[in-house]
Amino acid sequence: MSPTSRRWIRIAFAGPGAVIVALVMMAGMALWLPGGAAGIDNLILPLVLVPLVWAGLFFHACLDRRLGRVAIVAGGLFLIHGGLIAQKFAQAQPAATESHR
Amino acid sequence: MIHLPKDETKAMVAVHGWSGILLGLLLYAVVLTGTAAVFAEEIGIWSAGHVTSQSAFERPMADTIRALGDRTPAQYHEAVDLFEVGDHDLGAFFHRHEMDKGELISRGIFYVVGKDGRVIHTQTGTNEDVFGPRNDSALSSFLVDTHVRLHVPNPWGLLLTGIVGLSMLVAAVSGLLIHRHLFKDIFTLRRKANPVLVNRDRHSVAGTWSLPFAFILAFTGSFFSFFGTIGVPIVAMAAFGGDVVALTEAVYGTPGKPDPRPAAIGNFDHITSDAIARAGAIPTFVAVESFGRADAKVTTYHPPKSGGLAPISLLYDGATAQFNQVKPLIGPAPSAGGTLAAIMSPLHLGNFAGLVSKAIWFGLGFAMCYVTYTGIRLWLVRREEGARSLGWLDRSLVIVGLGLPVALLASTVAFLVTMPMGSATYWTPASFLIASAVIILAGFLWRSSAAFARVLQAAMAAIMLILLPLRLLTGGPGWASAMAAGQPVIVALDLAFLLTGGWLLWSIVRTSQSRPSAEHGLLQAAE
Repeated sequence: MSPTSRRWIRIAFAGPGAVIVALVMMAGMALWLPGGAAGIDNLILPLVLVPLVWAGLFFHACLDRRLGRVAIVAGGLFLIHGGLIAQKFAQAQPAATESHR
Repeated sequence: MIHLPKDETKAMVAVHGWSGILLGLLLYAVVLTGTAAVFAEEIGIWSAGHVTSQSAFERPMADTIRALGDRTPAQYHEAVDLFEVGDHDLGAFFHRHEMDKGELISRGIFYVVGKDGRVIHTQTGTNEDVFGPRNDSALSSFLVDTHVRLHVPNPWGLLLTGIVGLSMLVAAVSGLLIHRHLFKDIFTLRRKANPVLVNRDRHSVAGTWSLPFAFILAFTGSFFSFFGTIGVPIVAMAAFGGDVVALTEAVYGTPGKPDPRPAAIGNFDHITSDAIARAGAIPTFVAVESFGRADAKVTTYHPPKSGGLAPISLLYDGATAQFNQVKPLIGPAPSAGGTLAAIMSPLHLGNFAGLVSKAIWFGLGFAMCYVTYTGIRLWLVRREEGARSLGWLDRSLVIVGLGLPVALLASTVAFLVTMPMGSATYWTPASFLIASAVIILAGFLWRSSAAFARVLQAAMAAIMLILLPLRLLTGGPGWASAMAAGQPVIVALDLAFLLTGGWLLWSIVRTSQSRPSAEHGLLQAAE
């Protein structure tokens, strides 16, 4: 792969890629994070942490020399959290509501 | 110390530079207005000449609340918000919650109760009407609104400031990563080096010292911008099938068995006096759920206790006015997520330790403005050496960097003149827009950006110096009456404007005497 292509792929991961993965993670985290003592941690923590998640993905995409690892991390997080959301909608069961109760 | 390899350092330098250049001017506008908005409450008191120091929550209000409940249709008894408006008058918003175009809003009747307990204003509308700017708060509301959403309609304004916050986060982290000698850089100020190095040192020192602050501000600011616009709908979609009301109820609601039997609201005077005694501070806000029902709940919100960071809220039984529990600000019980979310506001606003923390936040905010301004200037200077034509950016930097404070001061003048006439809500933003248009036009037509910078600096000094006489001429309280009324903040702000205006004037005279033809004196002038 040419350096120019690698640079554009890196920009894609750092730019729109980091935004999309961070948003999908925010939704997915609400489904696996524990509710905590008040039963709201799974709802609040994703909202609070999303800027840091985005920043982490952004700087990882900028700084990791191995582009493959950037793709694996971002793609893995996207698939895991996207899969959780898809499963939630497929089952149509309010998992987070139950954990809240 | 962080030692990135050469290529990564180069990438971080590029990221740091471009994050500043692409959104730096917007970032400067957001940070400057945010810096001023740290003192929004004090600016509100100063500009409107408020001299009452007794809070509405310290006056008897029980009979008033019952009377307002009686005259308000039951459909608006779902919730009541109580807060202070104007010169410590009481605002009471009886409302119900409803969805409007996918957004959760409050609709109802808003009353303003004067110090004698009589209703002086009644208004039917939504939360946007009630919490929007009023004649006597137009200036402080304008500052806050500019900072929060740059006057761009929702949700785009919030999204824009959120993106600006993320760019600040990127600039702060990349700025940290490109420092090879962080501790040495913190103390390096080469005063006798060439001007570019001197300015780079100043940028570096101011940026490094304010780095943790920049990180906190960027993180908390982008959280607030994205919270309602993107975060809540997405989390509600994932956890509650898109039901935003259910999410809001789960996070902010007070759990308990519903009891819809009618019951008169308890003695509010008992609630407010007990809450003030327990929290050691006057409530900033009081919320009533299920007004007029047996299961009514009253929550009082207070600033953090001395040495604390998280605000306090107390829960009372609405029907009996009995204290129930110390309630976390978010969630029914103390939790990590609730505490983290609750400290976001004091961390962003810097209001957790009164005027001391506000002054520190103001100073660090000013340092951030300086870092943003000098950062863009340094980027330009480096490109000038490469003979690239970036004159438009140089002019834009002067127009925004020095023109924005002038336009804000112009809106302050307009507020002072028009508030007594009752038209400040219109003229405060209108004068800002008119001043901005004039500055932008003049900025691109002026012979040089350095000369225009001196004009703007002179305008800033002149307006600051006339604010005190103008305030007194338009009916504002004098220093003696302000001090007698327990409002030293009016005197403090008058003095701050006089001293800053005088210092700017002295700086202009000194610069023109020592370097009359300095083409790049802008940076020094701005310092």
